[in-house]
Amino acid sequence: MRSGFFKETIVEHIHLTDSRLQRAWILIGLAVLLTAPLWLNFYGLSLVTLMMITAIGAIGLNILTGWTGLISLGQTAFMVLGAYAYAISTETWGWPPLLGFALAGIVPMLASVLIGIPSLRLTGLYLAITTLASSFIVNHLVLEFDGLTNGSSGIFVNRPVIFGYAFNSDASLFYLVAGFGILAILLSLNLRRSRVGRAFFAIRDNDNAARVMGINLSAWKIYAFMVSSFVVGICGALYGIFLSFVTVDGFPFLLSIEALAILIVGGIGSIAGAVLGAIFLVGLPELLGMVFSFFGPEVQSLLATSAHEVKGVLYGLIIIFFLRLQPHGLMGLWSDLKRAWTIWPLRY
Amino acid sequence: MSGHLLQLKNVTRTFGGITAVNDVSLHVDPGEIVSVIGPNGAGKTTLFNLTSGVMPVSSGRILINGTDLSKVPPHQFVTHGIGRTFQNLALFKHGTVVENLLVGRHWRMKTSVLDAVLHFGRARREEIEARERVEEIIEFLEIEAIRDHVVGTLSYGQQKRVELGRALATDPKILLLDEIVAGMNQEETEDIARFILDIRAELGIAILLIEHDMHLVMDISDRVHALNFGTTLTEGRPEEVRSHPKVIEAYLGARAARGGGSGAVAAAGSGGL
Repeated sequence: MRSGFFKETIVEHIHLTDSRLQRAWILIGLAVLLTAPLWLNFYGLSLVTLMMITAIGAIGLNILTGWTGLISLGQTAFMVLGAYAYAISTETWGWPPLLGFALAGIVPMLASVLIGIPSLRLTGLYLAITTLASSFIVNHLVLEFDGLTNGSSGIFVNRPVIFGYAFNSDASLFYLVAGFGILAILLSLNLRRSRVGRAFFAIRDNDNAARVMGINLSAWKIYAFMVSSFVVGICGALYGIFLSFVTVDGFPFLLSIEALAILIVGGIGSIAGAVLGAIFLVGLPELLGMVFSFFGPEVQSLLATSAHEVKGVLYGLIIIFFLRLQPHGLMGLWSDLKRAWTIWPLRY
Repeated sequence: MSGHLLQLKNVTRTFGGITAVNDVSLHVDPGEIVSVIGPNGAGKTTLFNLTSGVMPVSSGRILINGTDLSKVPPHQFVTHGIGRTFQNLALFKHGTVVENLLVGRHWRMKTSVLDAVLHFGRARREEIEARERVEEIIEFLEIEAIRDHVVGTLSYGQQKRVELGRALATDPKILLLDEIVAGMNQEETEDIARFILDIRAELGIAILLIEHDMHLVMDISDRVHALNFGTTLTEGRPEEVRSHPKVIEAYLGARAARGGGSGAVAAAGSGGL
């Protein structure tokens, strides 16, 4: 039985990976992911692509809600802003897609400064309600400024062409999203192990002590909003490309609830949890479809005709279930299992 | 006048109609250990909150090395060399011991969000430097065994020690310790007393202490400042303050003050005032 991995230098302590074993598992996981287009059918591939896009959004929200402890229901607003920034800049203005992606991050980032200002005084539920309002305000703004946004008819989004390569096939879109996903994971892991990540969790755990330690609460809360919404904006742009169409209807408010549910299911504050939660919550309706199909075509058609409502109910149930039985989420479950495995046959 | 490391001049703090701290003046010189004593509600913790920037003074001035802190924003008090611990643990309980101590290094580091995201150059260099300093403190406080434990899972005594470590990690010139041995047993208290003396001797840090444990106060303090109802009763050497009639009155009432004398406070002290 292995008892642990021993570290001898400071540098080893700030490595992202713990051990050779962990690195091996990561490589295996990457190999499985990157060969997915070879062994998944069209439907499976688009499902995994959607999971990755959702995971990027969850990683973004995790920075704000998981690390800094600022509950946000403004996820949809930042996604809409990112998606429109990308669609307008690339389709209407004809910018290259990479610049479009940059704008898709920057526009929500700047907007988050405005939305984040109430967070300097509000926390918990009050902040949640304030950010909730931002979703509806952004929707109205999009519909009002129809000269720029095309109003309710939306903007058609072509697949991007980057450095002469057209991401037309579903496999190529998958790789584009995977690239962004891996980047999001790596960069947020970097953030977590730095002074910045520690400032965020210090604010979450004890803002008074954080301030005595020299952390400027106002500044760092706004930074958390900015970093988070940058990532969420990119997620919005990718979602727009995935749907090939950006409208207000394509980004229902349910996305905000979904993102929070993902964090709760995965384990709040953990990047791996955000990814696991995204896989779980995006995969769940598919699983449910399979279960429903056992009960005959009428029940199955219910899922098809009122998918939105069924999802809403499902997210609510999942949140209640996890908060009640497994508040540390899938990551908590995982570490319990790992612990049980390591110390078996002893109980503790 | 300017020789004082920390100087409080006629500091007053009111909450609505209540005056929590009333016209208190005290000073701490470099390398001194000064204790603040007083019954519950005497304004000791409020005095610490004012000195560490948690709340602003209503009137009066706080000077550190002659610099007036009245215009300094709360989060920058630490940059003037003021470190503190809290009465009821204020740790970042989901972080490990090392992470908690690293937060203490925050103001010494300059890594921006962009540096941090790329984890390259300055971010990496600063991170290694900070961790080296933190390891020194962990060794100093003899908490190597729990260095990677999540703070929320540690015992009360261990958490207190981590909090002391976090305050040390800010490189303070003066350390404000708010009832650091409260709830500790004899052995843990003696450990902390030894650390306090070591901190002064080896790191040259002055200490301002709020303490109810009279044995500890009388043992290690250079001077004692007694408060009651927000007002200074007396200040002086430990044995002077212990036998001061006003102090005895504050703790035990007027009759004891007339009859009891210094023995009464010593007895009260062992009762854990």
